Amino acid sequence: MVLIRPQASFVALSEAHFSALHVFVRLALWLGMMPPLCAYVGMTKHGWQLGTVEPLMLPKVTIGVICALYFFALLFGFISAAIIGRWMAGTYGATRDLGAHFALLVVVGAPLVLGSLMHLYPDVFLNLLVLVPCLIWSMFLLYRGLPIVLQTTPEQGMLMASSMIGYLFVAFVSLLGISVCLWVYGIGPRLGV
Amino acid sequence: MAAIKWPAAPTTYEDDVVLAFTIAAVLWSLIGMAAGVYAAAELVWPALNLDFAPLTFGRLRTVHTNAVLFGFAVSALMGTSFYTVQRTCHIRIFAPNLAWTVFFAWQLIVIAGAVSLFMGANAGKEYAELEWPIDIAITVVWVIYGVVFFGTIAIRRIEQIYISNWFFGAFILVVAMLHIVNSLAIPVSAFKSYSLYAGAQDAIVQWWYGHNAVGFLLTGGFLGMMYYFLPKQSERPIWSYRLSVLSFWAFAYSYIWAGPHHLHFSAIPEWVQTLAMVMSLILLAPSWATMINGIMTVSTARQKLREDPGLKLIVLSLAFYGLAMFEGPMMAIRSVNIISHFTEWTIGHVHSGALGWNALITFGCFYFMVPRLVGQPLWSVRLANIHFWLALAGVMLYVLSMWGAGITQGVLWLSLDELGQVRYGFNEILAALQPYYLLRLLGGSAFFVGAILMSINLFMTISGQRTVTVAPPTTSMRSPAPAAGTP
Amino acid sequence: MNLMDWHRRIERHTGLLVFGIIAVTSVGGLVQIVPSLFQTSLSTPVAGLEPYPPLALEGRDIYIRESCSVCHSQQVRPLLAEVMRYGATSKAGEFVYDRPFLWGSKRTGPDLHRIGGKYSDAWHRLHFMDPRAVVPSSIMPAYRWLAERDADTGGSIQNRMRALQLLGHPYTDRDIYFAPQRLAGKSELDALIAYLQMLGVSRPEGG
Repeated sequence: MVLIRPQASFVALSEAHFSALHVFVRLALWLGMMPPLCAYVGMTKHGWQLGTVEPLMLPKVTIGVICALYFFALLFGFISAAIIGRWMAGTYGATRDLGAHFALLVVVGAPLVLGSLMHLYPDVFLNLLVLVPCLIWSMFLLYRGLPIVLQTTPEQGMLMASSMIGYLFVAFVSLLGISVCLWVYGIGPRLGV
Repeated sequence: MAAIKWPAAPTTYEDDVVLAFTIAAVLWSLIGMAAGVYAAAELVWPALNLDFAPLTFGRLRTVHTNAVLFGFAVSALMGTSFYTVQRTCHIRIFAPNLAWTVFFAWQLIVIAGAVSLFMGANAGKEYAELEWPIDIAITVVWVIYGVVFFGTIAIRRIEQIYISNWFFGAFILVVAMLHIVNSLAIPVSAFKSYSLYAGAQDAIVQWWYGHNAVGFLLTGGFLGMMYYFLPKQSERPIWSYRLSVLSFWAFAYSYIWAGPHHLHFSAIPEWVQTLAMVMSLILLAPSWATMINGIMTVSTARQKLREDPGLKLIVLSLAFYGLAMFEGPMMAIRSVNIISHFTEWTIGHVHSGALGWNALITFGCFYFMVPRLVGQPLWSVRLANIHFWLALAGVMLYVLSMWGAGITQGVLWLSLDELGQVRYGFNEILAALQPYYLLRLLGGSAFFVGAILMSINLFMTISGQRTVTVAPPTTSMRSPAPAAGTP
Repeated sequence: MNLMDWHRRIERHTGLLVFGIIAVTSVGGLVQIVPSLFQTSLSTPVAGLEPYPPLALEGRDIYIRESCSVCHSQQVRPLLAEVMRYGATSKAGEFVYDRPFLWGSKRTGPDLHRIGGKYSDAWHRLHFMDPRAVVPSSIMPAYRWLAERDADTGGSIQNRMRALQLLGHPYTDRDIYFAPQRLAGKSELDALIAYLQMLGVSRPEGG
């Protein structure tokens, strides 16, 4: 629904009232579980594929840990983005209702969750190919949906959406940096450093 | 004091030269990006080198970086700095003839540079490839540029020098210093010289130059642009004047030290590497302070924001600035650098800055400035909005594909197998990168198409128009500044 | 006087602003860059290092002309996998005759600092003529025209060596006198291969 007619569903969202807990337990948790689950199935079945080199098969326990960490990273991203959004809301004249922030993020994240079905076959390139258009679609939804769902003017919403994107960039790059540091210190693939 | 003779009240601003620089910058962006897209395609289909020397990847990439850096970025900065310095000093530019000299001479330099690089005259230092005769020409033109810019400040009719001009000033002064020191060489013939420095010492000097060219040209210069156009478009003074003062000096002081982080794990002294890493991390504070100052300036505009497609691009560019300015110090951490160095991650990082920050803020400023220069509304707001989405999609494709490629390279190069041997052959890893190169080509092309739409839009706006004559406000001589932080 | 009052002076005086910027931005360079220019450990050649003979020097200048360094680094980092893949870690003393240095910043192709002697001249020749004939996954351009061009068409080899001699490279006048003969009959491709075969060969002891 939200993927086909975003405008109408945003209006519907802004009119309905959600309790934060409700959105979180009923939607976010389950949607957040999708990517790690797909990744778990994909990695145990096909191994981690980095292009043409032989796939990297890891023990099931390791995969379990990685997927659990993945789940918590997503959860952290979700909650922190909502909190940051709520914190910025004052500046941009948007609503401070946490339920609305959660609802917005669920909708914005939906294309990415859908795209993460590609994790069932964890080829890095194929995943990127699917997830990048999903990401751009998500950004589009964020710019479009934010002013409606969080009840602010389109101009303020544009600013706030850009600030949110800025935060998400930094959160993602930090994750990248932390993973790389962990690998270099010997957790993860075996590196000759 | 009575003896001081103030210049006669100016009639109008000299905006023709600004428009000329703008048009040149747009053209150079198209040429530079076309070269970039073609070079990206060569990495996917090496046959595109066509056995034709000037088109081979090595020479073409060098032309690409020179066209976007010296053609696009510097022309854009010269144009916007002339626009800004006149309006913040309430006076017609000092010696308009010299400003025009800078324009023509600079364009000739970039053309000569591109041709000489295609021909194979190359000094061999990254981002300082131009040979000594052009280097000398650059120095001369740069001095004239400095005379025009600081001359205008010196004859200003406003007591205070506006923030933008500090940044533009630092850009002019530091680039001059970097260029002269790094380009010192013994000429052999008109197209060949040998660097005055050798080996490891040359490396240290070169990356002091290379990093700070990024710092003071692509960061400092463009922050000058931001500090004028952002408050102007949102009709608000700078959010925190104190923060802009602090971040300017901290930025100018700490950037200079960070260069040798390009040389981690190389044969230069260890203390130089460590110092560069620490200073890179410190640098995060002033560069983010500037970003926060910018974003808060627009954010506090409670009243209606002007329906301006340019503003959208500028605000998005700040998000990318924040990304690049965070990613850079992170990649300067030695543990991260082990993986990221020498890989496509670096290329992705550069482009998140160059496309996401520099190009987008410039495009945003052009969408604001050009209609005002010719006194016409923008030809098509709809086209500008399409440009926004093409640009965003293009950068995201570019950056994400390079993250993917970079991490693949970084990890696979260093992977060991169970026997403790190198796990993958170099060529095996190279083959795995092909899809990412294709994706990057796609992203770069989308961004390029967006830029083409913009040039059509701007040329249709300009078409048949002359610049309108704008007179400075009739303030008294050396009147105090409006309010701190108001351009 | 508080900080902002102090700054009010700077932002009202062109000369002070210019001076302030130059002062603040010079510190890093003076403390970090200038000392290394006088650090002799960076400019002392490793034992056995010779300046490039004429043919290799010509090859090096071709390497610069074609911007090979935008895709190939010449810097082996002290990392286990890297030493296994390429060879001994690069030392500062191996580069003292490199003007400019060619460490590069990107490895689209492999590192070349220890390439010397790894492959035969014939392999290199074949590889430059058609890289994919030797390495199927290669994306390097072919450099066929180098084989058709005579080395040092401009006839500047003696001037180049004299310039380097001026900068302290230990060429003898005899080396310079006979340089054109060393290049006679050679193609640019021969010169480039001669350069590659010299790379990283004079290793520091224990390397």
